[in-house]
Amino acid sequence: MSSFRQLDNGDLSITFTSQEAHVLINLTEQLLELLADGDGQSHQVDPLLHLVGISNSEAPPEDPVLRRLLPNAYDDEQAAGEFRRYTEHGLREKKKAHALLIYEALLPQDEDWNGDTPLDKGSIQITLQMADSLAWLGGLNDLRLALAVRLGFGSEKGRPQADGDSSNLENSEAQNSDLHKKYELMVESDPMKAVYAVYSWIGWLQQSLLEALDK
Amino acid sequence: MALGTITESETETDLRADRPWVCVVWDDPVNLMSYVTHVFMVLFGYSKDRATELMLKVHNEGKAVVTTGTREEMERDVQRLHEYGLWATVQREIEP
Repeated sequence: MSSFRQLDNGDLSITFTSQEAHVLINLTEQLLELLADGDGQSHQVDPLLHLVGISNSEAPPEDPVLRRLLPNAYDDEQAAGEFRRYTEHGLREKKKAHALLIYEALLPQDEDWNGDTPLDKGSIQITLQMADSLAWLGGLNDLRLALAVRLGFGSEKGRPQADGDSSNLENSEAQNSDLHKKYELMVESDPMKAVYAVYSWIGWLQQSLLEALDK
Repeated sequence: MALGTITESETETDLRADRPWVCVVWDDPVNLMSYVTHVFMVLFGYSKDRATELMLKVHNEGKAVVTTGTREEMERDVQRLHEYGLWATVQREIEP
């Protein structure tokens, strides 16, 4: 597990193991699919409106991950819906661009990989320009948010809820802390343990990029 | 162009009409404190001290006003914060 470092010309560099690269490729791929899913198609699609980035839909997405990635901009539902109608498509496009940047940085160097190659063999060096660092940070953050929703980490009290279905969005700080402990003590064979490990690693990666930028 | 709809309660209370709009960021147990500070610095051009102060306010008090201005400006700021995964809303200034 290596960390980001800043080069003399300001670029940022990191070396991923093949396994790490694959985790990021798979996750960004899933995120891209999720962000494309239901874009402007919740109701009857008006092709002209869609072309100019206006959606027919004012309702928040049904998927809890999408609701977290594309939150309401107003507490008031009507105002939130109206704003969403004009902006959600653009927000999805921006997030897709962030995910795609990470995906494409890793993908071309991954052609040699096949299922028979041991995952712990080989490494991939990535260099990104400082101008792209915020997009990387945003993309990594979206991956963390998506995993956090699946892991059940919720919001603090007082945060606006996307809609009625907030069963896992109202956790207190103590509940989140208990959840962290639960995952840490979980047996290695539990699939959620692996999800938690990836969630923690991406947070570590994001922190490492922030520290490299700060130098 | 303001994209949201003025709600009934807002039109009823004309006294609030001349108050500016604000962009509020809400606390979140997922986003890293260092990341939130970084986003405030890059998006709004705040110094590290100012950005850290706002991040801590969000963390300790549950929310903080990060920018103030016209409704259109606040909608733009909220959209940019959403692009980077922070939870933000537009509203009228909390206290006159």
